[in-house]
Amino acid sequence: MTAVETEGLTRYYGDLGAVQDLTLSIDGEIFGLLGPNGSGKTTTVKMLTTLLPPSSGSARICGHDVTREAPAVRERISYVPQEMAVDIKLTGRENVLLFARLYGVPAPRDRTDQALALMGLSDRADDRTGTYSGGMRRRLELAQALVHEPAVLFLDEPTIGLDVAARKRIWEHITSLRHNGVTVFVTTHYMDEADRSCDRVAFLDRGSVVAIGSPSSLKASIPGETIIARITGNYAPREIPGLTFAGQRGDLLTFTGPPAEDGIASIQRELDLQGIPVHEIGRREPSLDDVFLQTVGSQDAAGPFDDHRFRLILRRRG
Amino acid sequence: MKRVLVYLDRDLLRWKRGRVAVVSNLVMPAAWLIFVGLALPVTFTGNYLDFITPGILILTVLSTSLQGGSLLMFDKVLGFLNKFLALPAPRESILFGKILFITLRGAIQATIVLVIAVLIGASLYSPTQYAIMYLILFLFGSLFSAAATTVALFLDDHDSYAAFNTMISMPLFFTSSALMPYSVMPAWLRPIAAANPLSIAIDGIRAAATGVVPLASVGILTLLAGGVLLVCLHVFRHVTV
Repeated sequence: MTAVETEGLTRYYGDLGAVQDLTLSIDGEIFGLLGPNGSGKTTTVKMLTTLLPPSSGSARICGHDVTREAPAVRERISYVPQEMAVDIKLTGRENVLLFARLYGVPAPRDRTDQALALMGLSDRADDRTGTYSGGMRRRLELAQALVHEPAVLFLDEPTIGLDVAARKRIWEHITSLRHNGVTVFVTTHYMDEADRSCDRVAFLDRGSVVAIGSPSSLKASIPGETIIARITGNYAPREIPGLTFAGQRGDLLTFTGPPAEDGIASIQRELDLQGIPVHEIGRREPSLDDVFLQTVGSQDAAGPFDDHRFRLILRRRG
Repeated sequence: MKRVLVYLDRDLLRWKRGRVAVVSNLVMPAAWLIFVGLALPVTFTGNYLDFITPGILILTVLSTSLQGGSLLMFDKVLGFLNKFLALPAPRESILFGKILFITLRGAIQATIVLVIAVLIGASLYSPTQYAIMYLILFLFGSLFSAAATTVALFLDDHDSYAAFNTMISMPLFFTSSALMPYSVMPAWLRPIAAANPLSIAIDGIRAAATGVVPLASVGILTLLAGGVLLVCLHVFRHVTV
């Protein structure tokens, strides 16, 4: 039975389409839902975890409909939201035991010990979680989620706000879960992490899927090559024959275009003309970032910051 | 029901570990007992401490209930509620666990206040009288913890809720029969005091102390608590869809 299946899943907040016509089929994999803030990732997860009813369309988890059979869905999933919500006055063990009891698992204490061991928290299990680092708190939340052995695990931005080492560790745990047969549905806006760890990813932009596939197939779908230039200052986009300017992020410029021998030279010429100092310029293997920029467009070109939309999304999904 | 107790257990553990709050909630009722109960020169009774004790017990339950209203709101704001709502346990057990916790906490605090009152000279009741008193405290606590939780969920903002809390607690207390009998109240205050749910609870405890079984008080409080609980359940379901 397919772990996660959606058909035309749609959610409106008033007249704002937060998620539109989402049709997915996910099973036995780490599936990454990528997209900028406010693109509808959290809204999607909330519908799949029975926290938010869809406006139209349907979703099934292990064959159970999220609206009509919500309790059966909740028996089979675990959900770790973005906010790191652990009781800091309780110990790690007490935090996990709470969930084991709420799930009603047999032998809750043993399951708690196993889940803590799995997440590498056994030696700190009896410390108050107020003394835990961000990465440890997130692993504790994973232990809470795993204590009832879910078929599908939903993680909303699991590495947000963590340092590099902690992120790496979280992803190692996620990958090992997948090897144990858990389907993992994860949202993130860190493209590099999704690139490394997800079996398949989907790009969400303004509520709609704009690209879906394995990271390697998506990267291969980019036509031509990518040229990166590291500069100081701001580049004013101008027509360079044969190349498309994909955007500036910090001091990095990205150009894409069909393979051409003089690509680098043309860019260098244009930058010199604008008097912009160039520190580094060269071809690069395409990344998921490039796929994103190509399919969604450069972030600056996405129009002015829509304050109303932003607030609406934050308020409604809270 | 089992899940309700698990949620209750979580809140009790968190409460026990927050030592400052356990003590600070007792200071005000103790101050009322000592500085008003023992010191106020009144002429309508020979033992003002005995008269005021039921009122202070109800005040204790009232303030812990109002304070507890924000607990579920905080669970919502901090992300706990979403985790709980995605669990297979019946969602209502979250709400019932919370109301049970707030009520139980109020009863425990009231017990400590009662011990202080007895230590400084309040008369002892019979076991039956105490049983009636605790029944009333429990009903009153359920009523106000459900009401406070409803308002907090509805306002959905801690500052607004704190303002609401400050706004209603003292007026409720002063317009009740906590500090003086109806006979010495000004005429305009009497009907207000008689309709105040605090007075209904306080009068019930006082009646029990004189050997009467306060059926009316218990009945009215049961109805009120039941009604407010239904409203609370409705608001809870509404904010969690």
